[in-house]
Amino acid sequence: QAKEFRLGLITPNGHSWNKAALKFGDDLKAATSGRLTVSVFHSGQLGNEPAMMQQLQSGALDMGFIQAAELGSRVPHIAAINAPYIVRSTPAVAKFVRHPAAVKLFEVLPQETGTIGLGWGITGMRAVFSSKDLNTLADIRGMKLRINPTPVYRDFYSSLGAAPTPIPTPQVFDAMANGQVDGLEADLEFSWNQRFDKVSKVILQMNAVFMPMAAVVSGRVWQSLPAADRELITKTIRSTLDVQIDELAGNEPALIENFKNAPIPIRQVDAKDTEAVIAEFDKIWLPKAPVLAELRKVGATL
Amino acid sequence: MPATRAFSVRRFIVRASSALLAVERLALMGLMYLLTGLILVNVVTRYSHFPIYWIDESAVYCVVWLTFIGASAMTRLRLDFAVTMLTERLSPQHQKLAKVISTGLVVVFGAALIVTCVLWMDPVGLARAGFDGRKLAAETFNFLYTEHTQTLNWPTWILYLTLPIFAVSMTIHGLANLLEDLGLVPRVTPKGFQLSELDGVN
Amino acid sequence: MITSAAFMAFMLVGVPIGLCLCLAGLVYIAASGNPVLFQSYPLQLFGGVDSYGLIAIPLFILIGEIMNGGGITRRIVDMAMAFVGSFKGGLAYVNILANMFISSILGSATAQVAIMAQIMVPEMEKKGYDKTFAAGLTAYGGMLGPIIPPSVMFVVYSVLAQVSVGDMLIAGIVPGVILTVMFCLVIALMGYVYNYPRADYQTPRQRIMTILRTSPTLLIPIVIVGTILGGLANATESAAVGAVAAALVGKFWTKEFEFSQLPQMMLRSAIYSAIVLFLVAAAAVFSWVLIFGKVPQETAAWIQTAAKDPVSFMLICNVILLVIGTVIDGIPGLIMTVPILLPVATDVYHIDPRHFGVVVVINLVLGLLSPPVGLCFFVAAAVTGAKPGKMFMVTLPFFVIACVLLVLLSLYPSLSLILVK
Ligand code: NA
Ligand code: NA
Repeated sequence: QAKEFRLGLITPNGHSWNKAALKFGDDLKAATSGRLTVSVFHSGQLGNEPAMMQQLQSGALDMGFIQAAELGSRVPHIAAINAPYIVRSTPAVAKFVRHPAAVKLFEVLPQETGTIGLGWGITGMRAVFSSKDLNTLADIRGMKLRINPTPVYRDFYSSLGAAPTPIPTPQVFDAMANGQVDGLEADLEFSWNQRFDKVSKVILQMNAVFMPMAAVVSGRVWQSLPAADRELITKTIRSTLDVQIDELAGNEPALIENFKNAPIPIRQVDAKDTEAVIAEFDKIWLPKAPVLAELRKVGATL
Repeated sequence: MPATRAFSVRRFIVRASSALLAVERLALMGLMYLLTGLILVNVVTRYSHFPIYWIDESAVYCVVWLTFIGASAMTRLRLDFAVTMLTERLSPQHQKLAKVISTGLVVVFGAALIVTCVLWMDPVGLARAGFDGRKLAAETFNFLYTEHTQTLNWPTWILYLTLPIFAVSMTIHGLANLLEDLGLVPRVTPKGFQLSELDGVN
Repeated sequence: MITSAAFMAFMLVGVPIGLCLCLAGLVYIAASGNPVLFQSYPLQLFGGVDSYGLIAIPLFILIGEIMNGGGITRRIVDMAMAFVGSFKGGLAYVNILANMFISSILGSATAQVAIMAQIMVPEMEKKGYDKTFAAGLTAYGGMLGPIIPPSVMFVVYSVLAQVSVGDMLIAGIVPGVILTVMFCLVIALMGYVYNYPRADYQTPRQRIMTILRTSPTLLIPIVIVGTILGGLANATESAAVGAVAAALVGKFWTKEFEFSQLPQMMLRSAIYSAIVLFLVAAAAVFSWVLIFGKVPQETAAWIQTAAKDPVSFMLICNVILLVIGTVIDGIPGLIMTVPILLPVATDVYHIDPRHFGVVVVINLVLGLLSPPVGLCFFVAAAVTGAKPGKMFMVTLPFFVIACVLLVLLSLYPSLSLILVK
């Protein structure tokens, strides 16, 4: 029978995830001749991610694009995807999130969160923007660094000797401009929109971590859908996310070109500097998320 | 005998409300000191390159608790924005009726919030699951007792407790106000609050 | 539909506005046939105030409490008197200028009117001004409170609109200063027509002595701005530092502040903050319910048929907000309109959310100065004993000039965005 799905996400209009959400709605409507439709609620209109998770669990909300940070704070197994140096470039991220090993992470979601994971969408590799000169990983030591406050990132940047500082997203630019923090880490798309280059002296491409998003469906809602619809929804969302992933990876060279035209240098972390960091990180996280070992193996082949 | 019992119920509600208000008064002062202190400590420690990771989150939850405890107290203190455009034009008798209805709605809200909190926090289900949050989640898809906050890493349900507390105290204060509005008990002026109605906030 | 009807009924019977919003939300869920939403209801209430930006509100209010208790406000008025010459309408200018100074510390219009009316109105009456005019003028001066930073209304807006608190506060500076200048022009004109009394003569030496004697009050805004520019703190944290500065100035310089007063000040700040914050929580529940019912989406479609371009949209918004502002006060008004109008403004007409915030706030503040529910007039009336209705009539030129500013802002968004990065 006809159904209108509510899909919530926290990114604002115009973000590549929002475009994907709208496209998913259009495609699903076309494939079912209007029987299944999707209303997209952007910018956290239905609440922040914890609130959306609660609504997904109770069945008030049908679908959500939820960041790995939110899922990972509930399930260490999922947090493994945020671990540093599983892959080392955005094109590799694009391959990795579609690899069966990454998709298999969703198997724990129903039991641990009451939601069904259908596929990953991505943002690019995150970089550090700094107001003091940075050449190598070692230079990060002692920095007050604004980070996304997910436990994995916290452990990673702490192991580099930074003092992780949580600053609410809307205030990051100001905090950089007036020197409350010495640096911040973010993906390049967001950084270009916020023009973090204007308040930084150098950009260090860490090629370490990325923040994917999972397209999830409420477990309660999923149970109520006929098998044919489940299959159609899964197929449609996967093809939509494929487009999002390919476009985001395809746009990165142009984005980097933008930053290269900015008056500040953009540098790369040397791969040989990273082995000790990985060892230290895995000592903490392998016991919490044994799947990390397998993810590293898969990542190395990409 | 029934008359004295009715009277003692009334007295119980008014006393409970006063006792609650006294606790709320101390809690509000404490939270405000705590909030100011946390923010100042954050400024100092960040400046000296030892930022404390969980302070921002603590300050936010401090304000959340302050909101709901304050909202409960201000109900009893009858301090709130209300539109009086219509009611001030009514006859004294009708004004009294409007007052009873609006105070009654406060009680209705408090009771409804208790119901929604019970639906959400599912204490019965939790007890049945032997107070095992994971078991409750597996049985009912209610993951409330398995979640933790991001930087403090406290169980979130502890922080959410402010809502059921608010629901109960709101109901008690609402009932006490209602008894006063119905003329069943004399109106009392709460002690310890030097407030002026002029200090509205905009 | 039933939700709005229920809301109106609750409001008219005199239920506090925050509870009207909460109750209307419950009515919507009951009528929607989707009872599972009841389970999300408490968490939405919680989520409404689970926001870093809102921390600023109790801290700004605390600064106000300490300034008042410390006799700092009074000295700022003395300073304004020393600055203004002994010309026609002198005290009227003093009133507006002192209000502008104090606006740079206080975040709230009604609090400011309550404080300033006690100081300025008796002073102006003594010099021969009409009491109603003096009270009304003070109410307009208080209007600068939420426009010139810091401002509780801008903080609430920035949380609703998810924009930087710092940006919002900065966006208010230029419009606030323009409004001050416009008010002074109106005083000049009215002073000429009604022959306002001159201010007391002070020798240049007296003026300099007064300014020197009162200048430590400036420490408070200097500390606030300095901690932000120096990278010690953000806009929110600077309020806590400012409160410490106010306490120190009050204790060691004016010597009117005692630490024994602090617990009561803390209590009052907490309760006044809770009044605002509970409204924010209630609004979060209400707007969640509206969004679930797709009301903003439908309103957007309706407005789009009426307004073809951003300017006509802004002018329509001005009219809508002014009408809403006449019956509903600042923050509740903000909370009820922003979730509906802002998505239309940004998504359809590509209006900068910060500029939109300035226009919305000024509109709603002007509502505090218009009948029938002009809260600022009622506050001024309660303090001075003047009549609110008459106050509105004698200060009508100020109302008109404020409307002119709103039209200017609608035409030239750069007025609010010029200082914002
Ligand atoms: Na102000
Ligand atoms: Na009004």
